[in-house]
Amino acid sequence: MLLQLKNIFKWVNTGGQRIFLLKDINLEVEEGEFISIMGPSGSGKSTLLNVIGMLDTFDEGEYHFLDESVHTLKEKYRSNLYKEYIGFVFQSYHLLDDLTVAENLEMPLLYKKVKGSERKALVADILDRFNIVGKKDLFPSQLSGGQQQLVGVARALIASPKLILADEPTGNLNSQQSEEIMELFKKLNKENGVTIIQVTHSEKNAAYGSRIINLLDGRKV
Amino acid sequence: MFKNHIKVAWRNLWANPLFSIINVLGLSLGMAIALVLYLFIGHELSFDNLYKGESNVYRILLNTDGDSFSQETWAGAPNALAPAMKTDIPNIKYTARILKHGFGTNANVKVGNNIFLEKELYWADADIFDLLKVEIVLGNRSDINAPNSVALSQKTAKQYFGNTEAIGKTIEIDNRQKMEVVAIYKDMPKNSSYKFNVIASPKATYAKNLYWSNASYETLVQFNTNISVPEVERQIQQLVDKNVEKENQWFSFSLQPLERIHLYSAEYSDSYAARLGDIQEIKNLSLLAILILVIACINYMNLTTARSQKRSKEVGINKTLGAVKRTLVVRFYIETALITLIAMIIGVVLAVLALPWFNYLSNQELDPSLLLEPMSFLAFLVIWAVTTLVAGSYPALYLSGFSPKSAFSPSYKQGGTAILVRKGLVVVQFAASAILIVGILIIYQQIRFIGNQNLGFEPDNIVVVSVAGINSQTGLDEIAQEFKGLGQVTDVALAQGFPGTGVSLNTLFKDREDRKGLDIQTNVSDPEVLDVLGLRLLAGTTLPKNKQENDTLIEVVLNKTAVDYLGYTPEEAINKKVFINREVRIVGVVDDFNFTSLHTPIGAYAFTNNDTEYKGYALVRFGNYSPDFLNQLERTFKAVDPETVFDYSFLDKNIEKLYEREQRTIRVGLIFCGLAILVACLGLFGLAAFMAEQRKKEIGIRKVLGASIFNVFKMLSTDFVKLVVLALAIAFPIAYWLSNRWLQEFAYHIEIYWWVFALTGLVALAITLFTISFQAIKAARSNPVKSLRTE
Repeated sequence: MLLQLKNIFKWVNTGGQRIFLLKDINLEVEEGEFISIMGPSGSGKSTLLNVIGMLDTFDEGEYHFLDESVHTLKEKYRSNLYKEYIGFVFQSYHLLDDLTVAENLEMPLLYKKVKGSERKALVADILDRFNIVGKKDLFPSQLSGGQQQLVGVARALIASPKLILADEPTGNLNSQQSEEIMELFKKLNKENGVTIIQVTHSEKNAAYGSRIINLLDGRKV
Repeated sequence: MFKNHIKVAWRNLWANPLFSIINVLGLSLGMAIALVLYLFIGHELSFDNLYKGESNVYRILLNTDGDSFSQETWAGAPNALAPAMKTDIPNIKYTARILKHGFGTNANVKVGNNIFLEKELYWADADIFDLLKVEIVLGNRSDINAPNSVALSQKTAKQYFGNTEAIGKTIEIDNRQKMEVVAIYKDMPKNSSYKFNVIASPKATYAKNLYWSNASYETLVQFNTNISVPEVERQIQQLVDKNVEKENQWFSFSLQPLERIHLYSAEYSDSYAARLGDIQEIKNLSLLAILILVIACINYMNLTTARSQKRSKEVGINKTLGAVKRTLVVRFYIETALITLIAMIIGVVLAVLALPWFNYLSNQELDPSLLLEPMSFLAFLVIWAVTTLVAGSYPALYLSGFSPKSAFSPSYKQGGTAILVRKGLVVVQFAASAILIVGILIIYQQIRFIGNQNLGFEPDNIVVVSVAGINSQTGLDEIAQEFKGLGQVTDVALAQGFPGTGVSLNTLFKDREDRKGLDIQTNVSDPEVLDVLGLRLLAGTTLPKNKQENDTLIEVVLNKTAVDYLGYTPEEAINKKVFINREVRIVGVVDDFNFTSLHTPIGAYAFTNNDTEYKGYALVRFGNYSPDFLNQLERTFKAVDPETVFDYSFLDKNIEKLYEREQRTIRVGLIFCGLAILVACLGLFGLAAFMAEQRKKEIGIRKVLGASIFNVFKMLSTDFVKLVVLALAIAFPIAYWLSNRWLQEFAYHIEIYWWVFALTGLVALAITLFTISFQAIKAARSNPVKSLRTE
């Protein structure tokens, strides 16, 4: 088992009232799954994804990731954990504006203290795999949205994570670009065995996954 | 990783040119000022450094007992002290007494057929060469002991004798003493407090007779080993007890280490040290420099955190990619270090360019090549490191703390503390600037006040000519007569001194029962002196014109303060006999006048016809000044005394010199104040730009809803105006307190008027509005469709 959420609650207090963002979420994810989280706006999809990605905390419940109890870990160890095993893909790509494509790809490796020569090899490899060698010295602003997201996915993958978390990865893309990204996810899942959890609004995209989780008002339905 | 940090920092620099330029400009100005002051302070602190290490050299200070004279510390001691110390106190290696020629005047030096005006001629014991490590390059040290021998500095020897051999030649001082040149010594270094061009042996003159009553001799002592200062001071007291009767002991002595002479002697009167600094001035300037640097650092913090919206996204992404806080702290520091490094390089260039200007303003001779010395590089490094640490601290710690979640929420809002801190910084900046503006206004007013103050006499249109070279009474009478004959001249008086210079200090007693006495300045003068100076006679007449040769009666004209002490009205005082050293008769009373600077209240003053002192000056009052007038004076002077240099000055210029320090403060202060405000404005400008940028969307919505350009301008300005008003509220009490303290240094000073603060407030507000108006109007005029289309 890759990760397990047990009775996760998350809430905020406003005006003396407690508003639940996540309510009693139980979830088990096996390695190699491709899960889609769906639900209307405000149903807690992104919050759940953030909790899984350890970017956000929760108020009650247990979270086990590869036999580590995340809820008992200090921030430093948590960040080590996701640094090691998780790659993120964002709706608005979130490439670093001041860095070129190649430099953006190199960034996670730098933070993992991978050696220079190995970094070069890995970057060259992934550029090749994603067919973007010709774009390596361009800055994000010089790319189309689809190309930027391609780089975003490549960057999430470069450190060989076990899990990719994607928050509406095609939200800003047109249908053809969307399809390309989803095909890419499918291929990664099938051929490389990467676990993927994506948040999406689109039934069509959700269909790429092996399992769909529906949320409403912070609760699994 | 490091390379990557540098790369990102470098690109960031270029990605935001406005931000970078403002930061670099502000910081480099701050650093340039810091560097110039580093040179200045370094130079000041280097004074008498050459004597450090074996610091067993002390100057003897004389403390008056506050009874016969008011309580003061003098740099001069009696000439009997040094010889007595040498015989009675063990462990003394060298002693030397120093007397500036004529108790502090210029000397007339005749060399063959040439005459020179020598401003730095000193009568000093030969031990001075050992004490101050003056290196003799020609001649023998032992010859200097002989009476009527003189030693010259290399430069002076060259000036007097050109390239011919100077040793063995004779020079004549003030047409009185013939002295033989026995030695040539190396010029005294620039950072020596003492600057001796000529050192003459006092054996046959000033050291011939020993007195305990005349304290005009600066006395230096060197001990063989380390001493206990209180112990030696006690020994000196025993010595004084042995030699001076208790009732004549109006002084006690203390020791001042040689290396403290330069910076810590501002309060002591009558020091012959030619180059004196002031530790207070150094402290003030350092404070100013730090202030400006801090303002520049605040700019940096402000601008960097103002962009935190963009930065938060970047931090968030980096954190999801695996960056830890420490890495990001390092990265922000590197970014700061890069900007400060560029600023430092520009700052060095600015400092080199500004140095001649600073030299001119502050009367210094700092050399830009000093910036290339290893010590300077250390200073660069320190300034660079400190600036980086200070300026980088807030951005590094604040920005790196952003949670990675912020990368997910595009409408991320800045935390309240960040805004509060930034507002706080702007308030500090403006408060500092406001204090400077008030300070400068007050100093300026006070200087103006001094300039317009009724001094009680008329210093304009008076030329002071030195006649110390003329020895005979007939010669003096002749020159006075000749001057009077000139068309423009209305009056001439010979006198021992004139307002603005020291004369003789004595004590005035009402009668034999009077035990208290009052300090009184006595000035041996011609009767015409009252007319020349334009003094107002309250009662009686001036000094009698013709004094009989055998007439031993001394007449005096007192000022009002002196008569007040005696308890007489001016009319009553006439013909009363009082004591100043001896019995004297009051013939006239003049109204009070400011004979020293306005720092001190008016004391008692007497013009006398006693003949104890030379009348070394001719005070010449003239009607209309024409360019030829000085030439006429000089020709007249030369006709009577061809042997002496024509040495003159204008009395009003001499008076101005009393306020040289204040003038200097105001000049340097004005520049610094202007720069501080400029740097603060740079920051404000940048901040306004980013505020406008941040509120672009809000402005767009407001415009769509019908806001006018003025509405938007008002909206953007109000925030800043509030901050400035708060800053002024903080600044004014502080400024009032500081100004008031400074003004207390003057016995005569201005009141602090409310309008100074009003003016400062208006200036600050005007600057603020002007600075932000550019941004505000730009933002207000922008097309709302554009700003609303994003996202």
